[in-house]
Amino acid sequence: MGKLLFEWDYSSYPGAKTYPHLFKPIELGNLTIPNRIKYAATEENLNGRDGFVTDAGVAYLRERAKGVVGGICTMQGVYMDEKRQGQGYVGQAAAWDDKFVPGLKRLADAIHEERAVAGCQLMHCGRVGAVETEYCQGPSDVPQRLRIFRPVQEMTKADIKQCIKEHIEAAERLLKAGFDILEVSGIVGYLLSNFVSRYTNRRTDEYGGDVRGRMRFVVELIQEVKKVCGDVPVGIRLCAEELLDDVCGNTPEESMITFEMSEEAGVDFLSVTAGWQESIVPVISRDVPQGSWIHLAKRAKEHLKVPVQMAYRLFKPDLPNKAIGEGHLDFWEMCRPMIADPLMPKKVLEGREEDIRYCVACNLCLARLFRDAPMTCYINPLCAHESDPKFTDPGPAEEEKNIMIVGGGPAGLECAYAAARRGHEVHVYEKREELGGTIIEASKAPYGDEELFTCIEYQKAQCEKAGVSFHLGTEVTEELIQDELPDTVVLATGPVYAKGQGPGFDGENVVNVLDVLSGKAIVGDKVVVWGSRKPGIGVALFLAKQGKKVTIVGKERTAGFDVNPSFKWRYMIYLRQNGVMAYNDCDIEEIKASEVMVRTYDGYRFPVECDTVVVTEREANDSLKDVVQAEGIELFVIGDALVPRNLSSAVHDGYRIGIRV
Amino acid sequence: MSFNAEREITRLWSGLHSAQGEIGRTYYRWRQAALEVAGPEAKPLDVSLRAAEIMGAEIGKAILPRLNWLKGEEAWLMNLAKNYAGNWINQGAIVKVEKGENPFEVFIKWERCPWPTFAKEYGAEMEEDVLCCDRILQSILKDVNLFFNVNYKIETLKAIPRGEGVCLRRLYKG
Repeated sequence: MGKLLFEWDYSSYPGAKTYPHLFKPIELGNLTIPNRIKYAATEENLNGRDGFVTDAGVAYLRERAKGVVGGICTMQGVYMDEKRQGQGYVGQAAAWDDKFVPGLKRLADAIHEERAVAGCQLMHCGRVGAVETEYCQGPSDVPQRLRIFRPVQEMTKADIKQCIKEHIEAAERLLKAGFDILEVSGIVGYLLSNFVSRYTNRRTDEYGGDVRGRMRFVVELIQEVKKVCGDVPVGIRLCAEELLDDVCGNTPEESMITFEMSEEAGVDFLSVTAGWQESIVPVISRDVPQGSWIHLAKRAKEHLKVPVQMAYRLFKPDLPNKAIGEGHLDFWEMCRPMIADPLMPKKVLEGREEDIRYCVACNLCLARLFRDAPMTCYINPLCAHESDPKFTDPGPAEEEKNIMIVGGGPAGLECAYAAARRGHEVHVYEKREELGGTIIEASKAPYGDEELFTCIEYQKAQCEKAGVSFHLGTEVTEELIQDELPDTVVLATGPVYAKGQGPGFDGENVVNVLDVLSGKAIVGDKVVVWGSRKPGIGVALFLAKQGKKVTIVGKERTAGFDVNPSFKWRYMIYLRQNGVMAYNDCDIEEIKASEVMVRTYDGYRFPVECDTVVVTEREANDSLKDVVQAEGIELFVIGDALVPRNLSSAVHDGYRIGIRV
Repeated sequence: MSFNAEREITRLWSGLHSAQGEIGRTYYRWRQAALEVAGPEAKPLDVSLRAAEIMGAEIGKAILPRLNWLKGEEAWLMNLAKNYAGNWINQGAIVKVEKGENPFEVFIKWERCPWPTFAKEYGAEMEEDVLCCDRILQSILKDVNLFFNVNYKIETLKAIPRGEGVCLRRLYKG
C-alpha cells in the first residue's frame, strides 16, 4: 500500500455511487491516490514573461485543485533552459534556476492546501518552442509546416547532454518546491516527441535511426530523472497515434514500442495522447465525438503494466467511469473540461451534474495561448479571473433591485443568475415557450454543435437555484414595461436579421436562418446563404448535409471571420468536403426567382443560380431601448442585441452586467 | 439589373493582366533600388541570386502544407510539379507538366514566360534571368526535400532566354 497524502472518504457522496470507478483508490508508484481524477498540465499564460509564478497563476491552479477532490492536480509544464529555447508560451513558468523555487512552492502549497496531490511537469517545447528566441531546437532541422513556429536548429550531442542535465536540475527544483509527482511531456510536437517521431528525427547517430534509436534520448532522460526523484513517481505523456501519416510520422505500432520502452526505463505511469499540432486530423474539436479516443488507452493498457491516463474528449463522467470499469483506462485526465468548470469532478462527486458548465470544445483557449494572450474560456467568464474576488464573488448588491431581463438566451440567462445570486429580484421574459434564444437553432447545426446547448442547460439550472422567475411566451411591450416599472431593464433580445437593400430581398424565396434550422422554412435545392460568419457556416453545412447545393456570399475577407483559428480550419475543410463555395468580399445586389446577382467589393458582378436565399446577416437590436430610457429606468443592452457576435460574447456580457447591476 | 457576362469577364481579365505586369515591374524596381544601395562594387547577378534564394525559400514554405505524402509518391511528385507550374502561371506564364518515362520523373515546360521580357525592359542580362529562375526552383526544393525526407532534384534542359523556344526542366528523384 502506497503512501496516502490526504485521507478522503467518498462513501457518503452520491457521485461515488453513480460513478464508483472514478472514486476508487489506485497505486501510483509509492503513492496511493484516493481517486482516478487528474487535472492535466495546462498552459494558461498567466505567469510573468520572465517565468516567475504570479498570483493569477496560483489562484487559477488552486481552484482546479479544489475540483479534483483529492486527486492529482498538475501545474503547467515548466521550461528548463536559461536560453528559453524550450519555452513555448510567453506566460510559461520557468525552472532553470533556484530563484524560481519559491514561486513553484506556492503552487505546490496551494494544491496541498486543497488536500490534493501536487503534480508537476517538465516540458521542453522543442520545435514548437522558442517563443522568445529566433530558433527552436530539435533532433533535426526539419522545416516547419506551420509558419507560426520558429525555424529549427539541429541539436548537437552536447546540446542533448545539456538538455538532460537541465531536466535533472529542474526536477530537483520541483521536488524542493514540494511536488509529489513529476511527469515529462512528450506530446503534440514538444522536444521528446520530436526525437521519437520519424517525421522530425532524421539523425544518423545513436539518437536517430529506428524507433529504438529515436527513443534513446527519452530513455536516458527518464533514467536520469528517476535517479533524482527517488520514491517520487515519474510519468510521461506520449502519443499513441501521432496522426502524421501525410508526412511519414510514426506508425501506431512504433508508438506502442515507445510506450513499452518508457515503462522499461522506469516510468510509474503513462498519459496517452493523440495528434500533433501539425496533424491535419481533428483530435479535440467539437466535431470529434466524445469518447473517440478511448481505444488508444485500451491499446496502451494491452502493452503496459503501469497505470494509463488519458484526456482527449472525455468531457462527461460516464465515459471514463465505464472505461476504467472495463479496464481500458486508469485515470480520467482533464484540461479543457476543468478550464470551463474548475470544480467539475467535485460536482460529479456531490451529485450536482446540473451545475456543471461543460466545455464546448471550441479551442478558444488554445487559440489564445498560441497568440501570446492569457487563457480565456469561451463559456466560463470566471476563467483566469480567479485571483480577483470582486469578479468571481462580488457579494450582495448594495441595493436590491427588481430587474427585468428581456430575452431568455445565453446573455439573458447568464446575467439573470449572476444578478439573482446577489440578492436582486430577477424576472426573465422570453417571447418563445422555451429558453435558449438563438442557441436552440444554432445547436441543430452539424459537426457537434448540439454540445452548445449544454451552456443553456447549465444557465437554466443556475437561474432556478438562484430564484429567477421565468415568464415564457411573454413578449415584452411598451405597456408591459410601463406596468411593471422595474428598477432595471436588461435587453438581451438577440439580434435582428438584416434586411437587404437591393431588389428581391422582400421576396418569398428569402428565408431566415432560424426558420431554416428549426425546419419551419421551405428551402429549395440551390441555396445562397447571405452572411459568412458562424451562423452562415452552420446553416450552410446543415443544408449541404441534406444534399443541397449551397453557396455562401459574405462581406468579410474570409468565411468564419468570427470563429477562432483553432476551430476555423475544421469548418474550412467541412465546407470544401460538402462542396460549399464561399464568395468572400462580396454582397448580394439583387435576388431573382432563380438566381442572385453577386457583387464583389471592387464592383465585379456575376450571377449565382439559386432558388432560396437564407439570411444570416445580423444587426444590433435597439427596439425597446427608447421606451426604457423614456421611463427613466436603468438600462443595459447585452449580447447580440448590443453587437451581434457569438455565444461567448453573450455569456461574458451577461456575467459582467450581472455582477455590476 | 442586366448582367453582361462578356463585359464582366473582360474587366476581370484586364485586371488580372495588369496585376501580372505589376509583379514583374515591382521586382525590377526593387532590384534597381537594391543595386543602388549596394553600391558600384556589387555584382547585379549576386544581388539577384540572393533575392531568388529568398523567394524560393518562401515559395517552398507555402507549398509544404499543400503536399500530401499519403497520396503516394508519384501523385505527390505531380502535385509538387503542378505547384511549381501554378506559381509561374499566376505570373502570366503558360506552363505544362508532363510525366517522364521514369515514375519519379516529371518534366515542366514553360511555353511562354513574361520574365525574359521584363529582364529586357529593365536592362538585365538574359543569363541572369535563367540563373535566377534556376535558383528559385532549387531553393523551393530545399525545404520540400528536408520536410519530406526525400532527395529530389531539378535541372534546366532548355531556356527561353537562351533562345531555345521553351524553358524545360526535369524534376526527378536523386
